Amino acid sequence: MKKLLITLTAVLLLVGFTAGPVLADQTMDLIKKTGKVKLGFREGSIPFAFVDPKVGKHVGFSVDMANLLAENLGKRFGKKIEIVPYTVTPKTRIPMVINGTVDVEMGSTTYTQKREEPADFSMIFFFSETTFLVAKDSGIKKLTDLSGKRVGAARATTNLRAIEALVKEGKFKPKDIIITETHPQGMLALRSGKIDAYSTDRSLLEGIRMKDKNPEKWMTVPFAIAYEPYAYIMREGNSDFRDFVNDTIIWTIKTGKFFELYEKWMGPNGVVPIPMSQAYRDYLNMMVYPISDGWWKK
Amino acid sequence: MGFAYDFDWGVLWRQPYGIWLLQGIWLTLKIGFLGWIIAFFWGIIIGTLRVTPWRWLRLMATAYTEVFRNIPFLVQLFFWYYAGPMIFGDHLGRQINQIMGLNYYVAIFALGFYTASRVAEHMRAGFASISRDQYQAVLSTGMTQYQMYRYVIIPYALRIIIPPLTTEFLTIFKNSSIAMTIGVAEITFMSYRIDAITFHGLEATTGAMFIYLVLGLTIVWIMGIIESRFKIPGMIGR
Repeated sequence: MKKLLITLTAVLLLVGFTAGPVLADQTMDLIKKTGKVKLGFREGSIPFAFVDPKVGKHVGFSVDMANLLAENLGKRFGKKIEIVPYTVTPKTRIPMVINGTVDVEMGSTTYTQKREEPADFSMIFFFSETTFLVAKDSGIKKLTDLSGKRVGAARATTNLRAIEALVKEGKFKPKDIIITETHPQGMLALRSGKIDAYSTDRSLLEGIRMKDKNPEKWMTVPFAIAYEPYAYIMREGNSDFRDFVNDTIIWTIKTGKFFELYEKWMGPNGVVPIPMSQAYRDYLNMMVYPISDGWWKK
Repeated sequence: MGFAYDFDWGVLWRQPYGIWLLQGIWLTLKIGFLGWIIAFFWGIIIGTLRVTPWRWLRLMATAYTEVFRNIPFLVQLFFWYYAGPMIFGDHLGRQINQIMGLNYYVAIFALGFYTASRVAEHMRAGFASISRDQYQAVLSTGMTQYQMYRYVIIPYALRIIIPPLTTEFLTIFKNSSIAMTIGVAEITFMSYRIDAITFHGLEATTGAMFIYLVLGLTIVWIMGIIESRFKIPGMIGR
């Protein structure tokens, strides 16, 4: 009986310690202690986060944003904060954030309610549209033109789900939906005639198109089937860190750095030219809350 | 730091996920069995050609085995699906690409041809384990080379190599999961699909593991019955 009581107490104590409330923001503490922030980047998410074959390093809009984040973190802690880059895929990005391999994923992740459940998201910093890449001479102008055609999309993407939802609602009837593993495979399928239209975000499709030997042969269709808000992924329950990421985004918009980065990667001379729509520009300007230099100090 | 993960095993039977898994199982079974039929018969033919007295046939069979055995299946599958149709030229290639369910057929044939090279190697091992005297004994009865293999040596070798064939039969079901990479909606594909939508990948993957395990154990059981009926006492098992 005594033994049982001791065991029970031990178990209760153990449960009490492990399940107790987390008082401090672990992510911020860890960054302060180690002087390193662990970043998750995609490998082929052009122009947001991709590996530049010339230098063999991650580059892109979100990577530049990560550099600004590290800079600000450096100002907060009064020492240089180094970025430790990790490569993530659509499959691993959320698990790697949850298990602590990376502190924040900065790429081109679509913010959804389902994804919000296991992880935290930053503010929305970009909107992309789910649309299709087709051959210019295919004559596809509206969604119903795709009925009876084969459409392709990558596995486990919101784009695929958007197509499946439209099919279910009877908005259009494709002959077949071909599922690929990666976007380059999707382009290969499009080129070899396996599919008539390949679907993902417009920005990514423009990126794929520009990489093709003959970019003029292809075009993105003038309509969209879904809008995709992009945001950065963080662990749940680290609101100080989340605030810091959000402040960084807001501060870059306020100081115009955001627009410089946009121009650099998506301007007319950028890697993937995507004209900034008026609605998107308005959104950015309207969500800026009052923030002044020195915010990074506590 | 505890893991902020809520287990929800309901994703394994709640609709539409339960139906997806069942559809996945059906497709895995179809790919596995059809692939195995190709692998078994084609493997016997290739394996036998490797030991026949005709030099050119032997060379061709050896080349086949080495090519299919030494390239990772994932790479082969990708090649046959994306580059395969292009072999037939632009026009015919495009028509092949228009075939409905092309990825499913490619998966079956690629899996069959790949596993055939492995079955062929087991066949060769089986032939080698039969002593010279036995070949000579058969020929001395007046049988031709063809008759010798068809009626004596092949059935003999097959009975010897039942254990490695069991492994190959198991492996073909496990390898069928690679068909996911060309968009064939088998079990692994479906479990990943459930993960992508519900974010309950742990449960979906565990479910897939369990299905593969039950499938594998069933095959081991069936092959065990076959083995106990057809084994040659003293050659395998005592």
